[in-house]
Amino acid sequence: MSEKPVTIEISDGAAIPRRKDKGLVSAWRLAFFSALVIFTCLLIFKREPYLRIIKFLPDGILVTFEVTIASISLASIIGLFTGLGRISRNRYINLIASTYVEVVRGIPLLVQLFYLYYALGRFVRIPDIAAAVIAMSVCYGAYMGEVFRAGIESIDRGQTEAALSLGFNRTQTMFYVILPQAWRTILPPVGNEFIALLKDTSLVSILAVSDLLRRGREFASESFFYFETYTMIAIIYLLITLLLSKFVGIMEERLGRYEQR
Amino acid sequence: MLKKILFISLALFMMTGTAWARTIVFATDATWPPMEFVDANKQTVGFAVDYMTAAGKEAGFTPVFKSVAWDGIFAGLGAGKYDAICSSVSITEKRKKVMDFSEPYFTVRQALVVRNESNAKSLDALKGKRVGTQISTTGTFAVKRVKGVISKTYDEIGLAIEDLFNGRIEGVVCDDPVAAQYALTNEKYKKTLKISSIIKTAEAEYYGIAVKKGNKEVLDLVNKGIRAVKAKGLDKPILKKWIGQ
Repeated sequence: MSEKPVTIEISDGAAIPRRKDKGLVSAWRLAFFSALVIFTCLLIFKREPYLRIIKFLPDGILVTFEVTIASISLASIIGLFTGLGRISRNRYINLIASTYVEVVRGIPLLVQLFYLYYALGRFVRIPDIAAAVIAMSVCYGAYMGEVFRAGIESIDRGQTEAALSLGFNRTQTMFYVILPQAWRTILPPVGNEFIALLKDTSLVSILAVSDLLRRGREFASESFFYFETYTMIAIIYLLITLLLSKFVGIMEERLGRYEQR
Repeated sequence: MLKKILFISLALFMMTGTAWARTIVFATDATWPPMEFVDANKQTVGFAVDYMTAAGKEAGFTPVFKSVAWDGIFAGLGAGKYDAICSSVSITEKRKKVMDFSEPYFTVRQALVVRNESNAKSLDALKGKRVGTQISTTGTFAVKRVKGVISKTYDEIGLAIEDLFNGRIEGVVCDDPVAAQYALTNEKYKKTLKISSIIKTAEAEYYGIAVKKGNKEVLDLVNKGIRAVKAKGLDKPILKKWIGQ
């Protein structure tokens, strides 16, 4: 095949470092190292109150990670099945998957969180972190489903035809031929979704889940160090997001190895 | 022509009206019934609102109530977004360091609300259980003082009560008039919730109007109003109307 590999670009979330930004000064490095320098300077030169703030936050960071990792795993699974459902030839499966995507994408995440926790709290008693994870993954599952669908559809039809003519059935074609190729196309936008999801976990603080943001708010409104606390929170989120985007960038390079000559 | 005259005289009347009385903007987190809350007509009403309106009449200022989320209410005062906070703020030593308080206008204690089937008589009985409060209220401080109780903080007290009602937490700590409103008079909650105890702190808490440190002009006006209301006994009917005692 002589054509260029197909890529789909969806840009929300932090920019994932690319191969071509290999220079000494890249946006990623600039952002990451300035954040790191500010972070350490504050801790060294203004111990009070920054040290107190940083000591208050660790369990919040842990909760943020827990929610992120659990939601990412669950959302990927939901996303894969939604994506497959969206391109299914079975009319009913297709309709169910499409309706799910339409409904979920039409409701703000904040409203979904309130709905699952407070509105449905009457009927099902879901513990807080579980409720947060379910709401996040149901929401992001729909977005990921679209990414998966776009990725699968970007693979040339000839691949399917070739696989079918070799005697593969449709499931085998999908899992042995299409998905392994689509994965490379899918990874960058999925990485973006991961990073967007991490940032959106800050919304779960409204469910009284003591994540990073909630811990910060508790500290700020009790000690009145608003500027200091929110500066710290912003820097920590930025550092985590940048690290994650770097990680996604490395993964992408690994998978794209065969294309670089 | 008649319309025009009417309109001009009305405008003149309104202008002179505002020129006489100074307007004081009070920030209030109107989610704290019966002290201050939003009624069915989207008006901020409650004990504190009536009290400050009466105080304004006595001292010559017009109170305007601005809805602000509790979480950022002190930050907004520091930034000068409003003149004062009238939102059931208990006067504490820590708060006194960053803002000035008026004379107290109400006395409260912290009450523990539980579900009817619970037999917890105090916070100590809820060790290892989750107890909800509104973020950074004196209720939160009371919960944090008891080692072993897991503190959960909500943006609004109503959300904590709903979570207690739904069974996710075992107790809620808040000011006693608010507890009474939910557990004794609220149609939805009074059958399921009860006040289990009043938390014994060293002394009672007093609500005060918070102003930015050094803002003497507003503080004096508010104090003048509160003193006049107390001296003339104008708080009695307001108490009867909202608290029922």
